[in-house]
Amino acid sequence: MRRGTRLRLVLRDLASGCAFASMAVSGQLPVWTLVLYGVALLCALAGRRLFAKRARITALLLLGVAVLLGLNVLNGALNIVVAACAFAGLISGHRLLSAPDAATDGQVHLSGLLMVAGGAALSGEIIYGLFLVAFGVLASMALALGVVEAAVPEGEPVPVRSVMPPLATGVGFAVAGAVAFFILFPRLNWNMTGPRASPGFGEPTTGFSNTVRLGGAGTIKGNPRVVLRATLNPDPGVEALNAYWVGRTYDVFDGQEWTTAGGVRHAREAMLTLRPGGDSLVHQRIELLPAYGGRTLIALETPSRLGNAFLNSTTGSRRTFLQELSGGEVRVLEAGLGYSYEAYSLPPEKGSGDSFRGLPPIEQDALLTLPETVDPRVAQTAARVLNGEREPLAAAQKLAQWLQREYAYTLELGGDVEDPLADFLFSRKAGHCEHFATALTLMLRTQGIRARLATGFFGGERINDGYILRAGDAHAWTHVLVPGRGFVTVDATPPAHRPSQGSRFLERLLALYEAVESRWRNSVVDYSFRDQLDVARAFMRPTREPESSTTRGGLPPPRAWGVALVAGLGVYLVWRALERLSRRARPLEATRFLDAVEAQLAAARVPRREGETLEDLHARLAREGHRLSPVIAPVTQRYLEARFGGRPLRSGEAERLLRTLKHALEEARPSSAPRARAS
Amino acid sequence: MTRRLEQRWARLRAWLRPPRSLKVTRVGRTYLVVTFGVGLGALNTGNNLLYLLLGMLLSMVVVSGVLSERCLRDLTVRRVGTDAAFAGEPFAFRWAVSRGRGHAFALTLSEADTPLSGEGGVGYLRAGAEHVVRANLTAPRRGPVALTGVRVTTTWPLGLFAKTRVLPLPGSLLVYPRRGYACRDPGEAVRGPVGDAGNPRRNDGTGDVTGLRELAEGEDARRVHWLKSASLGRLLRVEREREERRTWVLTVEPGLEGAPLEHRIEEVAALAHRLLEEGHDVGLEAGARGLRPAGGAAQERLILRALAWLGFEDPQGDEEAA
Repeated sequence: MRRGTRLRLVLRDLASGCAFASMAVSGQLPVWTLVLYGVALLCALAGRRLFAKRARITALLLLGVAVLLGLNVLNGALNIVVAACAFAGLISGHRLLSAPDAATDGQVHLSGLLMVAGGAALSGEIIYGLFLVAFGVLASMALALGVVEAAVPEGEPVPVRSVMPPLATGVGFAVAGAVAFFILFPRLNWNMTGPRASPGFGEPTTGFSNTVRLGGAGTIKGNPRVVLRATLNPDPGVEALNAYWVGRTYDVFDGQEWTTAGGVRHAREAMLTLRPGGDSLVHQRIELLPAYGGRTLIALETPSRLGNAFLNSTTGSRRTFLQELSGGEVRVLEAGLGYSYEAYSLPPEKGSGDSFRGLPPIEQDALLTLPETVDPRVAQTAARVLNGEREPLAAAQKLAQWLQREYAYTLELGGDVEDPLADFLFSRKAGHCEHFATALTLMLRTQGIRARLATGFFGGERINDGYILRAGDAHAWTHVLVPGRGFVTVDATPPAHRPSQGSRFLERLLALYEAVESRWRNSVVDYSFRDQLDVARAFMRPTREPESSTTRGGLPPPRAWGVALVAGLGVYLVWRALERLSRRARPLEATRFLDAVEAQLAAARVPRREGETLEDLHARLAREGHRLSPVIAPVTQRYLEARFGGRPLRSGEAERLLRTLKHALEEARPSSAPRARAS
Repeated sequence: MTRRLEQRWARLRAWLRPPRSLKVTRVGRTYLVVTFGVGLGALNTGNNLLYLLLGMLLSMVVVSGVLSERCLRDLTVRRVGTDAAFAGEPFAFRWAVSRGRGHAFALTLSEADTPLSGEGGVGYLRAGAEHVVRANLTAPRRGPVALTGVRVTTTWPLGLFAKTRVLPLPGSLLVYPRRGYACRDPGEAVRGPVGDAGNPRRNDGTGDVTGLRELAEGEDARRVHWLKSASLGRLLRVEREREERRTWVLTVEPGLEGAPLEHRIEEVAALAHRLLEEGHDVGLEAGARGLRPAGGAAQERLILRALAWLGFEDPQGDEEAA
């Protein structure tokens, strides 16, 4: 096998691998198809074409695979688009293992094209874009090498190094052209139904259950996966938001776990109002990602309204309805991979505004309920710490400070114990956020102060124009009922341990990916006709900056850059055309040169015979030993070369030769003039 | 008359031909179908990733057109030609192709608007270097073939489209009659073996030495008897008898046309080849065209040439590529 051929096959196989990966990143392909294709690709890259001699028989395997996928589709276990994509991948795998020839190459590339098209339907990740470009580059290189290889005679090497530079330039222009097409081609469809969510790899890590059980290990705090994206209006503009994002609250504790009293409040609503708001509500556009894994909506503390929810699935987005449960929990009615919705929250410095009388009776009772088996030392300790303080918020803050001071934060717990609260307060004296929040809530209740447990997230890391929450930001805290303000958040967990406790390096890496992914999403996945109009408007009529903010050192507007680019391109093209024009061989230049030479000779009265050509004249003068012979020799030689020898006169050469000839003729003239006068 | 019309039609087609022609290859057809499908999918769903993919696919089409155009620009082709072209069998034909600036890839060369089939290829043409491309062409019938230009085709860079440019290069190729087997006997020889007849002009054979004579101008120097030449001071050549040499004059009967004429011409060509290979002298009588009997490869070439021109206009000078 020729060197170029081997390289071409490797490039072809890698291109196919990239195409398959563009589908696989969606995480929707069955695992067995990933394994089968992976094995096929590895064998192909190792040069082992296992099906080379049994292409037809092994094609029956594909038939079996098709039947299997079809059954999965009929059972509802597999989406038909996913099944089609998986089948395209397996066809490609089969072709990779077949004997390489022109037909097989074409089939591999065709299946690759189908796979990247399928990947576009399955995934909206930026990794898809990277694999798409990689596929384009690798497949182009393989195709180009195949074209050259077919034209190179047998036995001669394929000029790989010569092929690559022009091809790389071409592929570069193709990528630029693709971007230009993407930006400029009008979006005729306003209803964007592109993929909003794909499950990706790994299980969802959070979500809310109906209970919170103390004693489990806090492994989730080390998980850096992003579960929520939000944009806020007004935008606080800070890098670390450090805000409480509430999911739901719990008010009944039985000694082991927290539950909620009450049931469903609103069954099916498009927009839910939890409590009255005002003019200063904070608007949030929130997206819950597949890694979240729950149906409970999250909003900044304290939520007022939630609604306008969309369910994101592998096939697109659709509007969905909400359900309100006790504990202030709002759930999406249908299950999906992710959800997008809007929420309005009260400003963080205010309380919830709830009044005790306004709460349902069952919740009123629960706010002071203590478990029957509560350790009496809990009440004694609370009374000792409070030392007569009866004002709810001041008492809660005093207890929280005491807990933060006296107790350690740890994620490593011993497991289930009979009384986890007593174990935390009097034995281990270390725990995680649920222990701190439970201890504060129950200690307040022992002193007759109404309180409840709230769960959700703490944090908010700025990425581009929005904020993200990680799975490790999951948190629990306490709501204290303050007369006149409603429920106020008091957090007993030490501040350093409230946000995610994962690896900093991993978090930074994921933040970087999220930043790039966010830009990709905004500029590619969600690009719309409205964005096109904005681009056009910005180009035609750049937005005028306020007078105060304009500075002389600022960059020119995009329109100026565009005009400069077009003008530069025009100047370059004109320059190229002029250069070509000047380089162009002028017709009959040698003849014109001869005419000029003969005119000079005639002016200098050099004797010529009738019909004597320049070469004859030169030969005669050379025979006679004439003094002009050395001057005429190069002129004659250059004329003959230019006229018949295929060596045209260079730019300025004719003028130089004529100048030399003229100078020589003028030098020769004075010697003859006196003789003429003497005679 | 028909042939003249064909030539005029070929000239008209050459005049009407666009500067470049484009043909979609098999892979290209599949590519275009997939592109169309992706475009439909993008318009139907509004999926931006499909728009991105569509942009990539369409850009590759444009880039393919630009790169192939760059390959076909600034090309210079000249015909190196062939030694001999016989109808109905492949013969080696060569072109010398070069490019002033830049490289060219995957070029395929063939003769445009001719009945000649076959093509030659070059994978990589270096800038400024002349590359000789060899092709096995086949001509379906004998006679002069008017060459109008050389068709240069490239599928560079992706093999999706075959772009063709025809470089005007007038010329002609004389195709000799088909080589075949002669069923008929050549008939009686005009003259019998030279040894029996004793003709002194037939003394350049390989038989017994018959004498020495002065070497004439243009005669083969291998016949010089160096010892005698050195002793006498002038070049003498040896003359030997040719014992089996006979003379035939093959005839193409007048009045034949169409298939019978072709058949007879092929038969005469085969007979001439056989007789000349055996060392005999062969002449030709074909209407106005006649060749005096002579031997050797040059005579065979003359006979083939005369037979190839039978039924066509007289050659206007020795300009054919063969």
